[in-house]
Amino acid sequence: MLWLKNVQIVDPDQNLAAIRDLLVKDTRIHEISASFRPEEVQAKAEGAALEVLDGGGRLLFPGLIDVHTHLREPGQEEKEDIASGAEAAVRGGFTTILAMANTKPVIDQRALVEFVRAQGERVGLARVYPVAAVTKGLQGQELVEMMDLAAGGVVGFSDDGHGIQNADIMRLALEYAKLSGLPIISHCEDDDLAAKGVMHKGLVSARLGLRGIPSCAESVMVARDLMLAEESSGVLHLAHISCRQSVDLIRQAKKKGVNVTAEVNPHHLIFCDEDVQLTKTSLKVNPPLRTAEDREALLEALSEGTIDMLATDHAPHAWEEKARPFAEAPFGINGLETSLAAVWQYLVAPGRLSVKRLLEAWSLAPARRFGLAGGSLKPGQTADMVLFDPDRTLEIERENLASKAQNTPFLHMTLQGCPVMTWVGGRLVVNRE
Amino acid sequence: MIWQRKHILGLENLSKEEISHILQTAKPMKEVLQRPLKKLPTLRGKSVMHLFYEASTRTRTSFETAGKILGADTASIAIAQSSISKGESLLDTARTIAAMKVDLVVIRHAASGAAAFLTEYLQAGIINAGDGQHEHPTQALLDMFTMQEEFGDLAGKKVVIVGDILHSRVARSNVWGLTKMGAEVTLVGPPTLLPPEMKVLGVKMSHNLDRELEGADVVMALRLQLERQQSGLFPSLREYSRLYGLSSQKLQKTGKKTIVLHPGPMNRGVEISSELADSPMAKIEEQVTNGVAVRMALIYLLAGGTSNVMA
Repeated sequence: MLWLKNVQIVDPDQNLAAIRDLLVKDTRIHEISASFRPEEVQAKAEGAALEVLDGGGRLLFPGLIDVHTHLREPGQEEKEDIASGAEAAVRGGFTTILAMANTKPVIDQRALVEFVRAQGERVGLARVYPVAAVTKGLQGQELVEMMDLAAGGVVGFSDDGHGIQNADIMRLALEYAKLSGLPIISHCEDDDLAAKGVMHKGLVSARLGLRGIPSCAESVMVARDLMLAEESSGVLHLAHISCRQSVDLIRQAKKKGVNVTAEVNPHHLIFCDEDVQLTKTSLKVNPPLRTAEDREALLEALSEGTIDMLATDHAPHAWEEKARPFAEAPFGINGLETSLAAVWQYLVAPGRLSVKRLLEAWSLAPARRFGLAGGSLKPGQTADMVLFDPDRTLEIERENLASKAQNTPFLHMTLQGCPVMTWVGGRLVVNRE
Repeated sequence: MIWQRKHILGLENLSKEEISHILQTAKPMKEVLQRPLKKLPTLRGKSVMHLFYEASTRTRTSFETAGKILGADTASIAIAQSSISKGESLLDTARTIAAMKVDLVVIRHAASGAAAFLTEYLQAGIINAGDGQHEHPTQALLDMFTMQEEFGDLAGKKVVIVGDILHSRVARSNVWGLTKMGAEVTLVGPPTLLPPEMKVLGVKMSHNLDRELEGADVVMALRLQLERQQSGLFPSLREYSRLYGLSSQKLQKTGKKTIVLHPGPMNRGVEISSELADSPMAKIEEQVTNGVAVRMALIYLLAGGTSNVMA
């Protein structure tokens, strides 16, 4: 049994934010109390070995759940694999991650789903749940065998990396997926409007002479998908929302009762197009960093709940792929190890986002939406937990990162506020003490 | 002034003094060009590498001529016959060039920022000979040199730039340079090629050429990439030419002795009529001559020529 003393537990599921002691028995949270007496704990341990740890008043969070990662295995293991990605995850405070299907081959068959799960279990760090493609080969034409894939353990379907251009295929996917009860995760992007752009279409793209991706490339697809979800009563989750217009549409749809959730990526809350420079490819991401006004609208939407979740969109790329002129570098930001620290430093520490909202958005809401273990520190729940030190600093350097890739805009920076211990199912998997 | 810069990546970040200094330096260079024996020992022992990823006749030849007149050793990488066509990345090419210890690299590349990219990996000085849709500083400098020859001081001069502004590195560099020199620039084009975000350049924008021609001292036509029509940016060459093509007749609206510039190569009958292109108003061939002079000035300044330029 683990007796975790003197920790500031923040758990929105119990509406708790207070100094408590917490007991973990085997793999689960056993009990929470203002204090325990030693003989009481001994009795509860029922003869099992007792480990006592004083948290020193630091924060204890339910393990974070990231619904949007690219682990690149199978097929692009030079960028990342499930082992390095899962290690990056637990170091960054994530006890559960969802792996997107745009690998090589695409995760569109049950055997591949089972491979991803098995690789995750072999590593034994973060829980890795596969997301399967919506359409075979991400081609946007034929639906995958959703029920067989669901039986194989997927927790959602997404052609992420591509928008589904054919509206009828999207409609059919929302209809058919109702059989499984699992969400369709939509990457909202109209290919024609995006027009092979490389950053947000606006003043900065005009000045730099970079091809722009207008906000409407996203928002028209958001509008379409919300209408399709409304008409089909399907379950829709919108990935990486980046602009104010999309936020407005989601707000309206939620008022009408559409079964929709949405996520935002930390980089869209921290950076904007004004931060983009021609040689700063670490900020090249899709959807692109939009204007300062969009950034503020996203933060407001996250705070008020129009946007339900935070998600990293962890997209590792090899160093030499990003060492190219801006237009030629791939899209994507490496996020698992830096995102919690960055959100803490840029948003939570300055009081722009509450700790409670942080954990609702990055743990509780993802668990509920995707039907996952964790997301809560209630007794009886799996002991997926993070001990977080708001004073501890993290130097973002190549040699300190578990991820195989370093394509983060925080490279060579020091971030303050980071996980010091992470437990998955009661097992300590990260210990920075 | 004492020249400090190692690279010329664009005009956005140059000061008025720096631009004036380059244009001043180009004057004696142009005199050298008129000599029967066009060769200076100034940059003997210096090497200039030309790295042109996009097709170019005048810019590349102009740079090579400029380097040779100054006595530098020049070499070019012909992309089609090089390992770049075998898929070598710009980074690896840059490292290869670095290993050859060249003093100056002139690069043209389809990606905005390619020249700035090289500065991060090379010790050599870099001259941007056109990067994507970002900047083409030597073109703007030769344009300004040509205007100065005609008008002297550019302050208060009205310059109309017409065409595909959105995709034009020539327009961007000219706006940065001309506004620093005090000229009054107006950008003209259809809304699809002159979208609202171009206001970032900080100059007047208009969709009506006829209205803007009045009082113009300089009218610059941009080359129209004919494939833009297929992308739906304008309905036909015919309509484009009617609305935005330059002709002697339209130019009468300026009510002035106006000069007409074009960066070349021209689409005769599209953005400029043949009779205008061949008329005395057009300074298009003068631009080419001045291009060599301006590039000589830049190579001289960046390659650290120390001896008197007129020696």
